[in-house]
Parts: sequence; structure tokens; C-alpha cells
Amino acid sequence: MTAPPPVRVEKALALMPELEALAPLRALLVSIARPDEATMWSSSGPYLTLGKRGVHPDELRRRMPQAFHRISEHLQALFKGYVEALESQQRGDAPGVVAALLRAGRLEEEVGRHTQARTWYEVALGVAEALQDRRPEVEALRALGYACVALGDYAAGARHFQRSLALAEAEFDQAGATAASEGLGDVALAQGQWGGAQAWYSRGLRLAEAAGDAPRAGRLERQLGVLARKQADLAAAGEFLRKARERFEAAGVADEMAGVLNEQGRLDAQLGRYTAASAAYREALAWAQRAVRDARLELSIRLNLAELDLEAGKLLEAESELRRAEQVAIAGHVILRLAQVYTLMGRLRGAQGDETGFVFFEQAIELARAVEHSVATEAQVYHAYGLFRSRLGQRDEARAYLERARELFDSLGEAVERERIEAELSALSA
Amino acid sequence: MEPLVPSPGAGKEALATLRILVVGGEGGSAGGLVQNLRQWADDGRLEIDTAPDLPRAVRQLAGQRWDVVLAVLGDRPDDDLPWWVDTLRGANGSPRLIAVAQAPSMGLVLRAEKLGLLDVLSLPLRRDELVRALERLRSVVSETAVPLPLVEPHAVGPYALVGQSPAMLDVYKLLARVAGSSATVLVQGESGTGKEVVARAIHINGPHASGAFVAVNCAAIPENLLESELFGHEKGAFTGAVTRKIGRFEQAGRGTLFLDEIADMSLALQAKILRAVQEREIERVGGGETIPVDVRLIAATNRDLKEAIKQARFREDLYYRLAVVTIRLPTLGERGDDLVLLTAYFVRHFAERYGKRIRAISDRALDLLRAHAWVGNVRELRNVIERAVIVATDETLRAEHLPDELRGEETTLADRPQGGLLTLAEAEARHIARVLAHTNGQIGAAAEILGIHRNTLTRKMKEYGL
Repeated sequence: MTAPPPVRVEKALALMPELEALAPLRALLVSIARPDEATMWSSSGPYLTLGKRGVHPDELRRRMPQAFHRISEHLQALFKGYVEALESQQRGDAPGVVAALLRAGRLEEEVGRHTQARTWYEVALGVAEALQDRRPEVEALRALGYACVALGDYAAGARHFQRSLALAEAEFDQAGATAASEGLGDVALAQGQWGGAQAWYSRGLRLAEAAGDAPRAGRLERQLGVLARKQADLAAAGEFLRKARERFEAAGVADEMAGVLNEQGRLDAQLGRYTAASAAYREALAWAQRAVRDARLELSIRLNLAELDLEAGKLLEAESELRRAEQVAIAGHVILRLAQVYTLMGRLRGAQGDETGFVFFEQAIELARAVEHSVATEAQVYHAYGLFRSRLGQRDEARAYLERARELFDSLGEAVERERIEAELSALSA
Repeated sequence: MEPLVPSPGAGKEALATLRILVVGGEGGSAGGLVQNLRQWADDGRLEIDTAPDLPRAVRQLAGQRWDVVLAVLGDRPDDDLPWWVDTLRGANGSPRLIAVAQAPSMGLVLRAEKLGLLDVLSLPLRRDELVRALERLRSVVSETAVPLPLVEPHAVGPYALVGQSPAMLDVYKLLARVAGSSATVLVQGESGTGKEVVARAIHINGPHASGAFVAVNCAAIPENLLESELFGHEKGAFTGAVTRKIGRFEQAGRGTLFLDEIADMSLALQAKILRAVQEREIERVGGGETIPVDVRLIAATNRDLKEAIKQARFREDLYYRLAVVTIRLPTLGERGDDLVLLTAYFVRHFAERYGKRIRAISDRALDLLRAHAWVGNVRELRNVIERAVIVATDETLRAEHLPDELRGEETTLADRPQGGLLTLAEAEARHIARVLAHTNGQIGAAAEILGIHRNTLTRKMKEYGL
């Protein structure tokens, strides 16, 4: 007797209520879903998305103990963090309380629970504010700032970093001031405020160099490189990235090397140097292999590599790389980035003039709404979807999707993207 | 002493120097490996260079061309191996990979085979084992170029029908009989056998040829969107219905509507299709107007629809409406020498697209193609040939241009220690690996096929490192 066919992920997820308690089960289900070989070669194979993958209930049941184990480990670590905070409280060691609460928050961030992390950090900040020594407060504010940035709340993030910086400077805490400057630079960069980002990163770099903090100086140089590239100052970008690379290579920091080479690849791509960009991405992947496994970093490199191939017209290579990226995202529990994978896949089908490619945008929108809860991602998907429709000559639909993207970028206060879409809408009407 | 690079056969050209990049071969568990290699390379036909790790190797590979990368794997060889293969993909000159590991497990060897490695060797490295691995690489020079046969394809729009096998001749005869009528046709066949090409051929040669050929892949489109894709929708009919949309039935007016992978449709939608077929009219989603449609319908599936009817997953009345005439397409395996004709056709087709000049295929490449189990049939072959044409650099398509998976099938790494014969354990491990691959790693299904308890299978997998 043949085994029953697997259940499609779209159907499996439809049966699962949106409850927080089920989130680990949802993640497990997605991570074990795979296409079957026959489907891969069928005519629907090129359009496979997460929803069309299959899952066997039997396998889910078999893997459940692993999920329970991970949940239990996470809870144990959180509980332990809380007990340590309590013990510090009992000893009258308030900085110890703050440190323990911050550790618990970081554990939440490691598994992508930023809202929960923010709650831990807020409690830590409450304790830190009552202390005479302001360094725990500086640290709590910084952690809170990054949690807010991860949640897309840039205004709150900037407020926390500002306060952290003011306190650090008052306390002559150079490391704290450097880190806060970096955070402020990151917030400005995320909001497209190039001038502000430039000022904060430069200030951070001066502080880091004065303190001889090579890894942080390298990170700031990389960010300055990113900024210069975004401002089309490609020579300056190259120079910053070279310096960052030298620092990281001398220190043998594999993940930072992967990060800076990933950025170097983007710069080379912008310069139209396909071979150099491809080599940089491949080396970045090799460094990522040496670092502690970080699916987000690997995914980012693979997405950049795929985009490079796509823009160079190497569609077969782009598709292979996107399928690898999809697998990394699914197996590595980075479902949040799958929307980007499918958006690129849709662009690729658009480049092939394949109308059925719309299924990728539909899946990406669904993921951006239901899984990532990210307006920014949804806006980007609609933008690409509009261009896809425009390319196929479907002007009404193209206009509708671009207008939706404009509306979403408006709600985020994203002026740069809004202007780009405005120009595309005008071109469409011309 | 046996030379490290085997002597060529009589009449063959002298072999060029092999360039080997040894990665991670200095210090640690690999101590002395590079030194040994340098000594063995003294016969002058090996050029050895080293890189301390994978990132630096990638940098060296970007700058120069190497024939072989000899990688000393770390403490987690199973995890490392795919990274090596992945990062070397697309490297200058497509170097072949030899992995060196401490006591490689059967699982590692099988994985390496699947990934298309040239070999997996154990530490300490033995000279005779390396010689054997390099022999296989050097056998490339003994490939003989076979001119590509002439093919006369039947053009079907941008596609073509290629093949002269008896199985395909039967298809052509049926196709010719049915095309002239307006009868609904059901095309059945495994994935990649060319169902859409046949549907297009029917359309082009039929009374609806002046109309459009509209294809819908029912399995590719999410279920919640398929209805509006087929029948269209009015603006505002549902969230996301930003404009009025004309469905595929209407787009195909006076032409042909090809419904591919029809078995993947829900029963509710099957009922709506049945109504459209019977009444020859449709309604847009969110619209009250009845719209007449004049289309020829061709449906296709890779599933057994009669079995689906038995399982109540497909409507029997719709089946009989669709299967007025049924054309069953043969698998590539059933088409014998059509494989050679299709290969020649695809080589020429892609050579033209990518601006290459390829006139022949090597006997070894052809053997590899013939020996492969084409799960994806013609579509898989097309894909393999397209990739091969992209990487080909001269007028002959060789085995080295084929994907790692196909070359890996020839390697049979685990066969070597016993001179071609496997131990019982090795044969068992390979068979288990094959069945697991077939079931996509489903242990329960694999145990069922193997006729053993799942606990026994789990134990054996652990034992063999699978």
C-alpha cells in the first residue's frame, strides 16, 4: 500500500489557530516541509512556494520531542535568568539584577522574540534607573534601543540611544558612548537620514579608534561604507570597506568578515563589476561557514548573490541561488526573510515574461502580513509586484499595486521610496 | 615506483600538469599531508599550492584556475561538505573536489557521491588512493567526441516535438486524429513528458488555431486565487481585487484553454469547471452576469485520475467530460534512443541561445545521460543540457560539463576499496540511502518499502552514519 500524500503547508497552516503557544509548532511544521521530487519536476515545480510544500503528520509527531526540548531549554534559561536576578536582589547587588534581566532579554532576541525582549529590558531599565552607577542604565537603554529598532519603532529606538549616549558621556563611559553613537547611526540609516547617520557613525569611529576598540571600529567603518554606497560615493565606500576588512581579517573575526564581504559584493555590483561581486559573495559564504551558524547572514549573502545573477541576466544561476536561499530560510527558521526570497523569484519570472510568476508576489504578501507583520516588507513586495505587472503590460493592475506601495511607504514616513514610486507612477501614466 | 599521474595510453597526447590546491592540509590532524604531496609530485606532473582555509581558498580560486581542490575537512565533515561544494560552484575552471577526512563514515561517502565529489579519502592520505582518484579525473582525456545527430523537430510555436521512438509515433498518430476536431482532450503522463507541448500541437493543428492558446497551471496557483484566475473577478469582489480582471476562460475565447495539473483542483472548483464545460458559460467572481465562452478545453495531469475518483478527490462526471480523448505520453525511459535526438536538439537550441558553437558530445557524457534515471523526464534533460551548454567551453559537450549529480552517479565512491565489489554492509547502506532519498527522508515510508520496523531502520541509519 502506498503511503498517503503529504499535506500541503497552506492547508496545514489554515488548520492552526494564530496562538502564541503554537508558534514553536508552526516553526517546526514549516522547517520540516519539503517539496516532493515528483512535484519539483512537474510543470508547477518552477512556482513552488512554501505553501505548496508538503508535510507528513507522522514526521511532525516524531519531531515534536525536539521542539519540546528546545522550548524547555529556552524556558529553563529564562527562568534561570530570573532566579539569578532574584538572587542578586537578595544580595543587594542591583547591577547584578540588571545584568541577569538583560541576559534573559538577549535570549529572547536570539529566538526572534523582540517584543518579549523589550519587556525584559524595560524591567531592567526600571531597576537601573535607581542606581548611582549609571553604566547598567546605559547598557539597558542600548539594549532597549536595538529591540525597538528590530520592531521597526525607530523613534523610540532613537530616544533610548540618545539617553544612553548622554548618560555615557556624563559618566566618561567611552565604550558606552561609542555603542550609543553606533545605535543612533543605525536608526538614522534605517530611516534614510544619511547626514545624521554619517555624523553618528563618524563620531563613533573616532571614539572607537581612541579606545583601541578594533572590532567596533571595523563595524563602524563597514556601516560608513554602506552609507557611502547608498549616497553613491563609491570610492569612499570602497575605502571604508577595505579598512574594515583589514581589521576583521587581522582579528580573524569570521562573521564580521562575511558581513563586510557581503557589503563589498553589493558595492562591486553597483559598480557593475559582476565577477568581483560574485567573488566577494562567494568568499563571504566561505567565511560564514567558519563562523557560528547564522542563517540570517547566510540568507542575506545568498539573496544578494541571486540578485546579482538576476541583474546580470543569469537567470538559471539566480533561480538556483534563490532555491538555496529558500531552503536556508525554511530550515534555519528565518521565515521572516522568505518574503524577500519570493519577491526576487517573482522578479525573475517577470524577467522571463512569465505571468504565472504572480504567485510568488501573492505568497510574499501573505508572509509579510501574517508572519513578518512588516509594513515595510509588504510595501516592498507591492512595489516589485507593480513593476512585474507593468513589465507584462498590465497597466491598471501595475498602477493599483504601485499606489498601494506608495500608501504603505507613506504610513512609514519613507520619503525616498515614496519618491521612487511616484516617478514610476508618472512614467506609467505617460 | 608508480607515477602519481597515470601514463596515457599509446597514441594519446602527453598529459598536462594537474594543478592541485590543498586546503587546510597544514597542521592539525592533516600534519605532513602537504609535505607528502610535494614529495609525490616530484615526477613533475603535479603542481601543488596551499590555502589555509576555505575563505582563502575561495580567494585563490577567484584569481587562478585549478584542476582539483583537495579539502581537508574539519571536525564536522558532514556539515562542512555541502559548504565546500556550494562555495566552489562557479569557481574558475570548475575544479573537482576531493575531500579528505579522519575515518570518513559511510554516510559521508554516500553524501559525497550525491554531491558529485571526485573522491573521499581518509587520513593519513595514501599514495595509491590518490593515484586512483586522479586516474578517474585523467580519464577525461580519453573521451571520444561523437557528432550530434541531425534532428528534424516538429515545431510547435516556441516548442518542438522531437522523437522517432515507436511510443512517440503512437502519440503523433493519435494527435493527428484528434487535432482536427473540437473534442476535449485529456493528456496524461509523468512530470516533464511534454504534456503542454502536445496540447499546443493540438491547438495549432486544430480548428481553434486562430484563437489564443491560454495555459493555466492549476497546481501553481494558490487555491484561493485559482477561481478568480480562471473566471475573472469584478473590482472589489474581495480584498486584493484592485481592478476588474478578465479570467482565463474569457482570454481563451475562440481559442484553447489548457488546464494543466487539473487533479490539484479542489472539489468545489471542479464543480464550477464542470458547469463551464457543460453550459459553455461562466460568471466572474463578484459579478452576476453570465458570460458565454467558446473554447476548446485540453486538460492534463500526471496523476492517476481513476484512483483519485476512487478516493473521492476527483469528480467522476468531470473526468468523463474531460477524457473524451485521452493521450498518454511515454516517459523518457520508454522512448529509447529519443534521448539522443532530444539531447542533440537541446544542445543546438541552447548553443544558439547562448552564442556557443557545439558540434559534438563525448561518448562518456552520452553514457552518463543514458544511465541516469530521468525522474523529471524531458524537462529534466532540457535543464541538464541547458546548464551544460552554459559551462561548455569548446565544440564538444563533455562529462565535466554535466551537473555534479550526474557525474556522481558514475563515481560510485564506495565501490573502490574492494575493486568494484561491495561488502554486504556497504550494499545495505547504499540501498537504505537510495530508499530514503526516494521517500524524501521519510523514515516510516522508507521502513515500509524496506519491509523492516522503523526502529530497525533508525538503528541502521545511525550505524551507517546516514
